[in-house]
Amino acid sequence: MAGPESGRDEAFHSLRVRRMMPQLMVIGCGAVFDQYYRGALKALEARGMAQVLALVDPDTRRTAGLERQFRSARAFAAPAEAFERATPDLTIIASPPGWHAEHALAAFDAGSHVLCEKPMAISVEDAERMVAAARAARRVLAIGMTRRMYPCLAEARALLAAGAIGDGLRFVYREGGVYGWPVGTDFPFRRATGGGGVLIDKGTHVLDFLCALFGEPVAAAYADDGHTDGVETTCEIALVFPGARGKVQLSWSQPLANGLHITGSVGQLTLHPWRLDAVRWRRNGGAWETRVSPATWPCDLRPNGRRGVPRTYEDCVYYQIVQVLRALTHGEAVPVTGEQGLAVVRAVQACYGKATPLRLSWLAEAEQARADALHWSRQT
Amino acid sequence: MSGPVAIVGAGGFVGTRMLEMAVLEGCMDVVPVVRSFRSVARAANLGVPHRLGDAASPASLEQALAGCDAVVNLTSGDPAEILRTTQSIYAAARAVRARLLVHLSSATVHGQVEQPGLADDAPPLLDHWMSYAREKGHAENFLRERMADGRLTIVVLRPGLIWGPRSPWVLRPAAELVSGTAYLVGSGEGICNLMYVDNLVRSIAAVVGHPANATGFYHLADDETTTWREYYAALAAGLGVDVATIHRVPGDRYRAGVRGLVEELKKLPPYRWLKDRLPPEAKAAIKLRLRLALERDRPAQRGASAGPAVARDMWHLQTTRYPPPTGRYRATFSLQNATSFAAGLAASLAWLRFIGLDERDGAPG
Repeated sequence: MAGPESGRDEAFHSLRVRRMMPQLMVIGCGAVFDQYYRGALKALEARGMAQVLALVDPDTRRTAGLERQFRSARAFAAPAEAFERATPDLTIIASPPGWHAEHALAAFDAGSHVLCEKPMAISVEDAERMVAAARAARRVLAIGMTRRMYPCLAEARALLAAGAIGDGLRFVYREGGVYGWPVGTDFPFRRATGGGGVLIDKGTHVLDFLCALFGEPVAAAYADDGHTDGVETTCEIALVFPGARGKVQLSWSQPLANGLHITGSVGQLTLHPWRLDAVRWRRNGGAWETRVSPATWPCDLRPNGRRGVPRTYEDCVYYQIVQVLRALTHGEAVPVTGEQGLAVVRAVQACYGKATPLRLSWLAEAEQARADALHWSRQT
Repeated sequence: MSGPVAIVGAGGFVGTRMLEMAVLEGCMDVVPVVRSFRSVARAANLGVPHRLGDAASPASLEQALAGCDAVVNLTSGDPAEILRTTQSIYAAARAVRARLLVHLSSATVHGQVEQPGLADDAPPLLDHWMSYAREKGHAENFLRERMADGRLTIVVLRPGLIWGPRSPWVLRPAAELVSGTAYLVGSGEGICNLMYVDNLVRSIAAVVGHPANATGFYHLADDETTTWREYYAALAAGLGVDVATIHRVPGDRYRAGVRGLVEELKKLPPYRWLKDRLPPEAKAAIKLRLRLALERDRPAQRGASAGPAVARDMWHLQTTRYPPPTGRYRATFSLQNATSFAAGLAASLAWLRFIGLDERDGAPG
């Protein structure tokens, strides 16, 4: 059966035989590319690890500007045109989420491997099509869940596995702040094009992070503030994992006391959102201790090359691309597979399937009643 | 009214609440206007169509304001843009033949208010140390000059600190109380010139619904006069924080600490020049290094051992001596505040608990 392993093997053999620098295509050169991928790809080119040969975006002014930064790259307005003229080893998909499935399928058709930005898709059906297409084409499908590269995740996993805070784990994961992403359209704020709001945006990262710690989740309850024609800007999820249960709270509209806090029978563990390399933990009654993770990731494509520690989110994007390229060049594992991405899409959709109005405890009773009546789950 | 009310700057704290109240209470037909798509996010749950209009460009605004009877200017952001933005909004309101322009100014244009009974039409301090207050003053003066021609009803509202759920003036003191870094200037007897956000929105709605030309300047504030000590004590009690952990700092003059110096540095042109040109990865790396260098080991230093970082704006606000009189507004628009300090505090504390600020060391309940 063709699976992710066979896709990786094929990629490995193909590139090893050709002994070429991996050739990349980028579909979607908007804010995500500009903020995160542009710097990482320039660094990869400068270090001779990859070459960007095609930049695809309907905004030709944007790609024209980028052509000057990536000397080997040609700009295209549409993926079909790009795949006619170029044969990339890896296609990075950073287009709006509603287009991910179509763009991934086009890449697989063209024989390319895919690194798809999160959220993988806005429906389970689309995500399943992507996984099936990768298998059929025997190509790698990696999902850009960049937080998997956080050293603190490795440290938290090690502490939990060692039973440092005991069992019967309970957690609270909060991530909220006023939305500041420089989007170029209102696609993320319409259910038809964005698939949802803050849950599908931030929640995708958060759910994947929790999956990496605790395994497959079950959404016990979900509530949000979305009205009929809107998308949720604040939501709460009650989640049950094997050995852990807790609450996730997300917001685009207000700051929250951000971080992941886990309480076990004998201690506590805290991950702060800005500290990627360390966790804080303590035994019950003891003093808090900061543990810096010793985890490192490969910096280059040499078999026994240099390793480094990502300290910022931007660093993590670089290390993530390196790891995906190593999957193509050395047959190593990608940070997050299509199947793992699909599990998160399923979890997100399970939440939406259970949606109820969120209780905003500061609203007057009449306001809350009106908000409840307008909630999207109550409309036919 | 012959058309809807445009809320320019609808993506901000007050604009979002105004939009939310309009939807949930059905009290006003509103058109939210924002500068960029990102500002739609904050109220994306409501599903109200937004219009795009750059408040710095009259042409762009004219399209956004088309068909509106009244224009409410709630824009905030870079102080250097305040005057130009006000001029653009005025020009666009005139161009679309709106009846009314409501301009949200600020009580800070009068500084620390050294005398009681400050007149509503008292001129602003144009030499204020704070660029925000200075530019708000220039914007007021621009509108003052246009009030005389009577071509547009212009109402300038001057609220104090707008507080309530989601307000920085709730979050900031609460976060400092919880982290043990809250402070009071002197004895804490300075006037905390509060205006509850719902009271403000209703005040704006009353102006919009007022049939006569009420052009002029109006102070706005909550009914109760609250001192900073009372405000902090009330928040502390609600959050379970011992008031003894609140630091006291001298009230004779402001002394800049590291935080104050960093804030001053950020206002310098070279800083802004560099910020606009650095690639995101370099900015992230610098930010992280600064944070690691400056960030306190919070859980370990909670309580009395954590020192306060006195901010210049907070120091000056805490030395305000008199509340502004609001009689002129009440007499003109016949509106009393509906939300008391106690009710506003209860809602604010409910919000702080919702966002998890009351949890010690992040421990889940």
